[in-house]
Amino acid sequence: MRYVKKIIKLGLSLVGPFTMIVILTMPIGPLAGGLGILQPIGGIFDVGRSINEPRTQAVSLPGLTADVTVLVDQWGIPHIYGATVHDAMMALGYLHAKDRLFQMVMQNYLASGRISEIVGGYASSSDKFYRTIGLERAAQRTLDWYVANAANPDVAYALDGIDAEVAGVNAFINSMTSTTTPFEFKILGFNPQQWTRLDIFIWAKMMAWGLSGGIYDLYRQWVRSTIGNDTMYDELFPDVMPFEVPIVPEQTNLSIVTYPNAPGGFKASSYPAGSVAQKAAEEAMIPLEKLQALMDELKAVFAPLGQDEILGSNNWVVGSSKSATGEPILANDPHLGYQAPSLWYEAQIVVPGQLNVMGVTLPGLPAVLLGHNDHIAWGFTNVGADVLDIFVEQLNPANTSQYMYNGHYRPLNVYDEIIHTKEGVDIPFEVKESVHGPLIDSAIDTYGLDTESAPNIAMNWTGYGITHEVMSAGILNRAVNLTGYYNALYWWDSPPQNIVYADDAGHIAITCAGRYPIRSGYTGEYPVTALNDSIGMVSNIPYAYIPRSVDPTQGYLQSANQRSIDPSQYGFQLLGPFDDGYRGRRIDYLLNHTASVSVDDMKRFQADSLEVSAQQIVPYVVSAWDSVGDGNATVNGVVDQLRTWNYVMDVDIWTPTLWMHLKDAIHYETLDELRSIDPDLPLSRTPVLEKLIKENNTYYFDDHTTAGKNETRDEILVKALHRALDEMVQQYGSDTSKWIYGELHRVYIDHLAGFTYIGGGPQRGQTTLNAAGGWRVTHGPSWRMVADLSNIQQSYGVYPGGQSGNMFSPHWDDLFKLWYAFNQTTQQYGYHLMYFYPTAAAFQAADTGGTMIETTITFVH
Amino acid sequence: MRKIDDIFPNIGFIPALIIVVVLAIALELSGAWITMLIAGVFGGLFTRRTSRAFLAGFLGVGLAWGVLFLYLSLTAQAMAIANMFIGLLGLHGIGWLVIAISTLIGALLGGFGGLLGRSLVELIDEVSNKPSSQTTQA
Repeated sequence: MRYVKKIIKLGLSLVGPFTMIVILTMPIGPLAGGLGILQPIGGIFDVGRSINEPRTQAVSLPGLTADVTVLVDQWGIPHIYGATVHDAMMALGYLHAKDRLFQMVMQNYLASGRISEIVGGYASSSDKFYRTIGLERAAQRTLDWYVANAANPDVAYALDGIDAEVAGVNAFINSMTSTTTPFEFKILGFNPQQWTRLDIFIWAKMMAWGLSGGIYDLYRQWVRSTIGNDTMYDELFPDVMPFEVPIVPEQTNLSIVTYPNAPGGFKASSYPAGSVAQKAAEEAMIPLEKLQALMDELKAVFAPLGQDEILGSNNWVVGSSKSATGEPILANDPHLGYQAPSLWYEAQIVVPGQLNVMGVTLPGLPAVLLGHNDHIAWGFTNVGADVLDIFVEQLNPANTSQYMYNGHYRPLNVYDEIIHTKEGVDIPFEVKESVHGPLIDSAIDTYGLDTESAPNIAMNWTGYGITHEVMSAGILNRAVNLTGYYNALYWWDSPPQNIVYADDAGHIAITCAGRYPIRSGYTGEYPVTALNDSIGMVSNIPYAYIPRSVDPTQGYLQSANQRSIDPSQYGFQLLGPFDDGYRGRRIDYLLNHTASVSVDDMKRFQADSLEVSAQQIVPYVVSAWDSVGDGNATVNGVVDQLRTWNYVMDVDIWTPTLWMHLKDAIHYETLDELRSIDPDLPLSRTPVLEKLIKENNTYYFDDHTTAGKNETRDEILVKALHRALDEMVQQYGSDTSKWIYGELHRVYIDHLAGFTYIGGGPQRGQTTLNAAGGWRVTHGPSWRMVADLSNIQQSYGVYPGGQSGNMFSPHWDDLFKLWYAFNQTTQQYGYHLMYFYPTAAAFQAADTGGTMIETTITFVH
Repeated sequence: MRKIDDIFPNIGFIPALIIVVVLAIALELSGAWITMLIAGVFGGLFTRRTSRAFLAGFLGVGLAWGVLFLYLSLTAQAMAIANMFIGLLGLHGIGWLVIAISTLIGALLGGFGGLLGRSLVELIDEVSNKPSSQTTQA
């Protein structure tokens, strides 16, 4: 009995520790790691210690054949000097993981339909979609092809790089300590698994999906069906935008003997005849309600890298004859959705005698995607070609697991997928697949909206098959001349990209590289039902004949996602949608009207924020006001601002804000024909509106909702002006200081998991060369590069973000600050010099002030 | 058998506190918060009253974590990290609260460790003391 009191006291004293253990380990809301992660050491605060790295480090990397020296420059950019490509890529893999592991894991889990494992079951609809489109299945097919074709030296090179990258990533994962574990993993309570070969291809597929997936077939059918007037549809929604300057000024074909196949080694047909003329298959009409439901559900997941209307890019090059240096100068700024950490990771990879390449890589991929080596430079823009078709399968009424093809019902392939959630729940899910591809309504229950009771809408996307982009990038990294460029792009099949080129021998080129299907029995514009194999993507445009221009007489080349080539000059059909063409028109004008283009000019052009649509349309509005305006003093003042505006979307004036509202108002007032049918219909595209204005199209300018009155163009433009001003007063008030563009148009770069953001400040531009679409700018130049082929060491680059994925590192956003800083005097944004030395010793010798090299890492074998 | 209280003398509150602070810093370097219970136990070993044991552990670990946070704030962006963390909960600009809560958590671990230590010592000494006490009486 005498111990009882003591035992009770001990028991009571255990309550506190047990309570603390429960509190500190229990997940609380988003803090899956529990409150224990708040301790000073061993929790989230360790990430702050990881940024205090010693200036000289030695890291053991088993598997290397020799030591690898990495000089990390002042921007956190590694310059990797290895004895073999394998060694260098292994170091790159380690550095990718060290700086970007959370991003790599998030991106790949999203793409493979496993994001619920990290963030929880609420994301299962996203997982269902990605499992349906099957990026992981496509990646596995592609990996299998690489393994089966490893006897090809270029395939072997790619596989070796992949294995090295994987080994490097895993070396980092295996060496992770609390200090080096990403902050996000600690919050989410997540431990990364080992990286695999498959992971490399999964992210490559996701990039391809982001740049070439799209539901245009559904969109076109919905617009056309809703309008119900084919003449109006053709006039207001043409596939070819008016006033466009195509990418290819003079087509250059290659030898069909040297390059007999389509890109990627696919079957090719050398003549286009019969490819699109015959229409054996009628358009398969999907009920409007179902179309709308499908599009609503799909539009978010169909644009992982950004919405189509603002997803775009610029690249251009001037040849020796137009260059101030006498050698080509190349510029590239791909416009993608901003994210923090950035999609890009900059690096130089040097292997003496084999490789010396600099530019941006995708974390997890063992190649420089955009950049230069010691002889050539290159840059990408998205083609925007429609390489995804929708097929409506005819299901067996007696058995919806079968569909009609080639005269008999055949079974749909079924993939049993299990979605694992963070909460430990398993969600079974079934994906069906026809000969055309996965049934996308497996992920979305819309089949109750028509007569079907089971999924039947198949997606035939070129990227779903075997693709060769990783191999192509490996060849391009090592190319030293035009032949090397041709050979590299021979394998670039997906996603289609306009790849601009310049070399130190004075050549310039652009290739709209990619696999373009030749369709039989249908156009590819609308969903069809294909009951046999005579209807479908039966062949491809030969690589030798894809749109390409080499050393054109005009002395320059440019692309900004506009139409690749004038359809009247090209026998094969390339299906859009392509960009509105305003950026293409602007850069073509600038290059055409600048006799001798310098590196500084290139930087100035990349910052160019002149709105071509405003330049073309505003004079008509001013003239209309002068002709038929009511003389209102307030409106007079506004019009006076428009009169003197230089059409630059600057942040310290309000005229750009007015233009944004005015443009929408002109669309609205002009196209009553569309909005009176369905207010959800898009009101055409701005180049079409520009054409209507310039041609003074009396039919569309007449407001058909006003019976007995014929409105003129000028009356409609004035009405639009009033409408825009009314909207602005209603939205911002009558104080024009509240209308200042920079107050309303701001750039935000959100963290991948929404933890924080970079930016928040005013941003110039709109649908301009310096792309900054919308009000909240979340897309735009994800990388700016100017490569000077007269002295490749004087090339510049920058991207909005920073090399480090650690949001507390100075390299988290230092490149963003450079990218964002606009110099009014030079009219340029900031860039960093892309340090490019052939040896570590040469770089160290050049760093006389000790400011260029921040850290030296020796990877020890 | 010697009592634990005989092995670990009552050295007074302040020296006991200093021992807990030093131990807490050393043990926290392992990155395991649960070791703060052990640091607190030492507060119970070197004091005799339950309330003092708790206080020695509570203040000792609290001070230790405070010192660590001060160091981390000066060298490793602890305040920025704390601000980020509280931001995830929809609160902004009060990162100091995270550090205060964290320090409180450490202090409670230490305090409860002190209580546990004292209770354990008293029970063990009671149990181990019984036969020796009877022998002495005989």
